[in-house]
Amino acid sequence: MTQGVIVGGWEYVWAAYGITAAVFIIYAVTLITRFRAEALRARAEAERQ
Amino acid sequence: MLGAALRKELLLQWRTRGQLMAVFVFGATSLLLFSFAIGPNSEELRKFSAGFLWLGLLLSSTLTLSESFHEEMENRALEGLLLLPSDPRALYYGKAIANWLQLTLLGIGLVPVMVVLYDAGTTDVLRVLLVVVLGSAGLSAPGTLYAAMTAQVKAKQTLLPLLLFPLIVPALLASVKATSLAILGDPMGQSWSWVGLLSAFDLIYWSLCGLLYARVVEE
Amino acid sequence: MELANNRSPRMPYVFMAIGVAFLLFGSYKGLFVAPAEEYMGQVQRIMYVHVPCAWNGLLALTFAFVAAVVFLINGNFKWDARLEAAIEVGVLLAFLLCVQGSIWAKPTWGVWWDWDPRLTTTSVLLFAFLGILALRKFVDDPVKRAIWSSVATIIAYVDVPIVYYSVRWWNSLHQLQSNPNTVSPVFWAPMRLNAFGVLFLMTGFIMLRARIASLRLQYELTEPPVLSGEEAGELA
Repeated sequence: MTQGVIVGGWEYVWAAYGITAAVFIIYAVTLITRFRAEALRARAEAERQ
Repeated sequence: MLGAALRKELLLQWRTRGQLMAVFVFGATSLLLFSFAIGPNSEELRKFSAGFLWLGLLLSSTLTLSESFHEEMENRALEGLLLLPSDPRALYYGKAIANWLQLTLLGIGLVPVMVVLYDAGTTDVLRVLLVVVLGSAGLSAPGTLYAAMTAQVKAKQTLLPLLLFPLIVPALLASVKATSLAILGDPMGQSWSWVGLLSAFDLIYWSLCGLLYARVVEE
Repeated sequence: MELANNRSPRMPYVFMAIGVAFLLFGSYKGLFVAPAEEYMGQVQRIMYVHVPCAWNGLLALTFAFVAAVVFLINGNFKWDARLEAAIEVGVLLAFLLCVQGSIWAKPTWGVWWDWDPRLTTTSVLLFAFLGILALRKFVDDPVKRAIWSSVATIIAYVDVPIVYYSVRWWNSLHQLQSNPNTVSPVFWAPMRLNAFGVLFLMTGFIMLRARIASLRLQYELTEPPVLSGEEAGELA
């Protein structure tokens, strides 16, 4: 198995995958949090009327 | 209908021509500042002269475009215009053409500034003129549409360039390239393909923005 | 006005979970199973996550365009909610694309940015749609906000091919580079798995984000409650 002309480079690979994973996870968490907040508020509004 | 709208716009612009003068000074000052970024190396400056010209014109356009709806926002004239039995597209094209004229005048005014500051003379004056006309058209069509939108919003000074700049990248690229080739020489005759790209951009956006304008100003 | 879709409350989470599963499997294959590429070496593996993000990013923005057109035609605010969601997720993916592309460029070309036409177009798109998100933030009237961001989305989306071709011409004089087109099937598997992974994850994101937008729109679009005589008396 050849190493390729570019030797090594694992740190770049981990950086790319790591940032991608982090961004997805953080976004998912903010979405879920925000959804719960909005749903709660909507329920409170509905009960008031 | 378009004639009346256009006449009104041109009259307005004539009345506020002092502002255009001020914007020209702004543009010329920008060109001066750009040269400070590069340094007093005439070779380098000449290479980038087209880019500086168009950046200067682009920055100046944010001033003129946002001003173009100033009158409509005063005394809520925009709503008054909507009550008239007129096609909103006529209003749009009237204003877009007037803005186009303004930007072309600005561009033509800035060309000698460029020639002097950057030693960027050219014998191909007609081609530079053509590019200024076409490039200004590319800025004016979407610029007028977004000016109409952002005039009604707080933070309009920031929003207009924020929305406009990414959009006009093709027009900017083509204008800079075509102008640059006119100044630095065009051995392979590429500039006509850039002019072609610019024309296509203008055609697409002058039609599309006219189509969408009615929705932007409806109540 | 009933905007929120409560028929399948678990759907977004199911999609996200499926997406994560595909991504974990695909990334595992891409990182540990697929061999290093002939010229690119290990750095090639970045493509297994970069290309899926690119496909889906364009998909998200295309969906935003569709939502914008549909909203302008039928005025149903469900589509405005979808527009908002699709733009936000599209911006997210565009941002990721620029970061991944930059990380890929450094070991490959020695610079953090190589003006590759596709990546440059992505950066222009990123700024264009960030601008539209900013527009939405600054407009309080929900009707104006919906119409204007639909118009802006259509204008920005039509620009995509124009930007791409102009940057390609602009750049063609400088370097002849291309992102590697992996051909061998051993490279397909992680790519496809991750492509499905990002697709499901992204769909889940858009669904959930659209629901958030719907809930807020419901709040903004309903009439303020009529005061009873008692309450009105209190205010007087």
